[in-house]
Amino acid sequence: MSKKLIVVSVVVMVFLILTSAFSAPVTNSVGKVLPIDAAPPEYQVLRVMSGPATTLDWFISVYKRTNEANNYFGEPLVRLNKNFELVPAAAKSWGVSKDGLTWTFNLDKNIYWTDGTPLTAEDFVFSFQLGADPKHGWDFTWFYSPIKNWDKVVKGELPPSEIGVKQGKDPYTLVITTEYPAPYLPMMMLYSTPLSKKAYEKYGPYYNNDPKTSVSCGPYVLQEWTKDKQIVFKINTKYGGRLKPYLEKIIVTFGDPGTSAFKAYLAGEIDICGYSNGQIFTPADLEVIEKDPELSKQFHQGFGDFRTFYLGFDCYNPPFNNLNVRKALAYAIDKEAIVKTIIRKQGMIAYGFLMPGFPGANPEGLKDIITYNPDQARKLLAEAGYPDGKGFPSLDMWVRSDLASPTVVAAANAIGAMLKKNLGIDVKITVKESKTFMDALNSHKLPFYLVSYGMDYLDQSNMLGIWVSTGRHAWKNDRYDKLVTEASSLIDKKKRDEMFKEAEKILVEDVGGIFLWHQTPGVLWKPYVKGSDLTPDKYGITALHWPGIEGVGTTIFNIYISKDVLKYRK
Amino acid sequence: MRDIIRIYRKNKLAVFGFFVISIIVFLAIFADIISPYKYDEIDLANFLQGPSLSHPFGTDSIGRDLLTRIIYGARTSLIVGFSVQILAVLIGVPLGLFAGFYGGKVDYWISRLVEVMTAFPGLLFAIFLMTWLGNGLFNIIIALGITGWIGICRVTRAKTLEIKGEAFVEAAEALGVSNSYLLFKTILPNIIRPIIIMVGLGVPQAIFGEASLSFLGFGISDPLPSWGKMIGESLGYLQGYWYMGFFPTLSLAITVLCFNFVADGLRDALDPRMTSRRKG
Amino acid sequence: MIGYIVRRILGLIIVILLASLITFILMHAIPGGPFDELKMPLPPEVKANILKKYGLDRPVWEQYIRYIWRALHGDLGVPFQSPTETVTSLIARVWPVTLQIGAITIALSFSIGILLGIISALRQNTWIDYLVTTIATLGTTVPNFVIAIWLILFFSVTLRWLPTGGWGEPKNLILPVISYFLAPTAVIARFVKVNFLEELRKDYVRTARAKGLPERVVIFKHVFKNVLIPVMTLLGPMIPDLATGSVFIEVTFRVPGLGRFFYTSALNRDYPMIIAMILLIAILWGITYLVTDIIYAYIDPRIVFS
Repeated sequence: MSKKLIVVSVVVMVFLILTSAFSAPVTNSVGKVLPIDAAPPEYQVLRVMSGPATTLDWFISVYKRTNEANNYFGEPLVRLNKNFELVPAAAKSWGVSKDGLTWTFNLDKNIYWTDGTPLTAEDFVFSFQLGADPKHGWDFTWFYSPIKNWDKVVKGELPPSEIGVKQGKDPYTLVITTEYPAPYLPMMMLYSTPLSKKAYEKYGPYYNNDPKTSVSCGPYVLQEWTKDKQIVFKINTKYGGRLKPYLEKIIVTFGDPGTSAFKAYLAGEIDICGYSNGQIFTPADLEVIEKDPELSKQFHQGFGDFRTFYLGFDCYNPPFNNLNVRKALAYAIDKEAIVKTIIRKQGMIAYGFLMPGFPGANPEGLKDIITYNPDQARKLLAEAGYPDGKGFPSLDMWVRSDLASPTVVAAANAIGAMLKKNLGIDVKITVKESKTFMDALNSHKLPFYLVSYGMDYLDQSNMLGIWVSTGRHAWKNDRYDKLVTEASSLIDKKKRDEMFKEAEKILVEDVGGIFLWHQTPGVLWKPYVKGSDLTPDKYGITALHWPGIEGVGTTIFNIYISKDVLKYRK
Repeated sequence: MRDIIRIYRKNKLAVFGFFVISIIVFLAIFADIISPYKYDEIDLANFLQGPSLSHPFGTDSIGRDLLTRIIYGARTSLIVGFSVQILAVLIGVPLGLFAGFYGGKVDYWISRLVEVMTAFPGLLFAIFLMTWLGNGLFNIIIALGITGWIGICRVTRAKTLEIKGEAFVEAAEALGVSNSYLLFKTILPNIIRPIIIMVGLGVPQAIFGEASLSFLGFGISDPLPSWGKMIGESLGYLQGYWYMGFFPTLSLAITVLCFNFVADGLRDALDPRMTSRRKG
Repeated sequence: MIGYIVRRILGLIIVILLASLITFILMHAIPGGPFDELKMPLPPEVKANILKKYGLDRPVWEQYIRYIWRALHGDLGVPFQSPTETVTSLIARVWPVTLQIGAITIALSFSIGILLGIISALRQNTWIDYLVTTIATLGTTVPNFVIAIWLILFFSVTLRWLPTGGWGEPKNLILPVISYFLAPTAVIARFVKVNFLEELRKDYVRTARAKGLPERVVIFKHVFKNVLIPVMTLLGPMIPDLATGSVFIEVTFRVPGLGRFFYTSALNRDYPMIIAMILLIAILWGITYLVTDIIYAYIDPRIVFS
């Protein structure tokens, strides 16, 4: 070979070696190759803030967990991606019987608890039985009614072993039977993060509160839980799931997100601010964000949990037992003005209960039923026997304190003023502490209130289901009850969609509630936080979609810290 | 009396304080006539505006005029401040009098009652009460009154004991004067002065208490304004809408300050040592 | 004297019992309980089970007696919001935090307050006096939660010198203490100034000056001592007050202290915690009153034998 060729070969080889050294794939502790623009593994740490928590486990207490950074210690049957589609998780595949009553989930055999035991159907059976066991006193039992015998077990009429969650033909087959056909059951199984039967029996319900006794079969393990200070999650190097996460650590600082999170974000102490299911930004915060070009780029709005804010009544007692009274109030409220000036970016006007984007939403068909028409409102009120508001009792609108952000309170005040101006009705606005509020609402003793509801799973039976007369609302419409109950267990998609559509129309026409706006919460995340779930979804929207970074979503598996973090002091 | 006014007037700050408070009282009484707008009148087209000619203090998030709300806030604050003190005096003075005067078992049990009440940190007990009673102006006055009589009671008791031991009281007792005469004609008039001072200091305390309760969400209901509530609301708008918090904070500060000046002035003017020294 | 003390201690026990009774009744009168129904109502059977789990299904008087019985044996129960520890261990963990802030606040407010008060008295109507008055004013006229938020916005968000909250390092103490000590300092400074001026008018000062003693000696040897005693009476009530902490400051700065837990316990209906804290406060105040009254009785025996 000529000298020239040798030199060129050497140069080329050196060049190749050097470039490959630069682009040598970096893997993290669980063996996943980090993206090219990712910071080194020791920087793959995500910091968030949460309110106080008593537990991290779904089946121990749903409401007492951390916000968003939870469900990491178990592998749920399915997960949700950014397009709101279900993807396999602990269940590789699943199917339903012809009559729609029996679901079979085939479990992934590769998933093990950190103590070596495999994740089997037994853990799921155990966890669900625990949830149904009345002695356990679980706070989310209402959700699983479709499961066979669930309600009877909760009432204490049958032992927990009778629920329709059982092992199938082998330890890796889980069979769920339902009381009636429930096509949305897989969607419900998003909420199935199991506990380890072995660990529970050995250490009791709080075995995950202490790193020494905590076991996980999910993507993260508990490294540290310093009470009142922080929780640190470390990557589970033995994780057997299909998807593996990039992040090495997640640090959750305890605080009151409503008052502290934004300031902490601005001070660079946390990386994500805001929840995927509710806004915690005050109008001043939004002002700061809007005026700052950097911050504006970091602010992303999404569907959240399809939350709708509405006014509710006690329709069983005067004055709201009169449909004309409810209609009068509905016509007297200028929703457009409220959304335009008060809610602004954080919501969109609501004509019905289902938010556009939610399956079965029908804004077009509903928007002309109730319009802003003060004259019509006055006429209706007069017809009801209260001309010009004479003789109408003064109202006290209760607003639930955990929902009473400055925006919501401002909207409530605006509504009160509108009712006064258009109908001559005196309205007081009272922010009521949550438990006091719910106590009155659930016992149907609350005359007039402003509240919201966000979805639990993506099906009309969930959202419309809460308006059935046995629920929290003091409103009853027999046809509505019939439609919703029947449609919920129909398999024929076309027919059930039609029935739900009709039901929602009845809800609006009969003014079970006055639907005001749908929330479009925004979340801030630092420019160095990246991930495929943080890129535009099939609607073109870039947001931290519900359920955010919870373990039942896919976001936690593709979120990572990019090299840009080195520019910011972390 | 003339002596008292004369000494009071020597204290410039006290005079200033009295003057300002009078203005505030005037504003509170004639709020309906003076205010440019109604306090619950919204104007969604002009929300969150800064101070301007049509809205000297700006507007809030739904276009309500802040100047109007501050004026009505004065009314709320003063009503709460004075009512709570009246309630505190009605409860605290008799209890303190009886405890100091009768002594023995009466004193023992009243003092235990005082200690029980002190076991409940004022604000937190008020929160309990408000959760139980519900919101509203009347309930706040009750809640703050129930937690606010303790100081007055203790001072009354201490003063009663002090005066009881004075020579002229013993002399009156020796003369066979009746208890009620002693209580009302000799002891009570000498207690009035320190009580007035305590009330003077207690009014701003009560106003502060209402502000704190309203800030926490346990206060009066919307749309009735109170300075405390306005301050609480403004915290969500601090960055960018300074005027929402500035004016109520300033109003509260000035009012509390002036009450303190007045109380200081009263203390000097009502101090018997000052008046007696004047007699040479 | 001993008899007096014994009677007072008995009285304290009665007070504690009464306080616990009132708390019990109030807690159960308020709607809600240690369960959440934020979305849908809980089925009555589940609610019954949750209440049973927490021992809340018994009649109130029975719960009360059981509680007192257990408390006498040192068992204050398990906090609902942290079931992996006991009420005693939770308070033992959480109280020192509040005490730290309280102790530093008392130390600072007394030292700075006395200093400022003396300066004000000696340099009446000068710019120093007005400066002191202004700072003092700020402390008593602006609620401390407002000051706290201003401080956070300035020092944490804008300057990034200090954290927005949290606990564990010395720098976490700075902002909470500043928010907290302004009001007491103002009170002490004004008190010292008034007393100081009063003392200066007294006869013994005129005598001392007439005797030719240097001003410094007059002030520090004689007047100062006489001012200190009444100032110390302010210390009495401040101790239990600061020992129990401020809810606002602890919540705003995310400080895991007693005040914060009072707030969360009330919201969560954590009955064991609420009662335990009330008892603690009752004991603190009871002891404070006892000690101050003993001191007064020592000085003025008439109070004892009335």
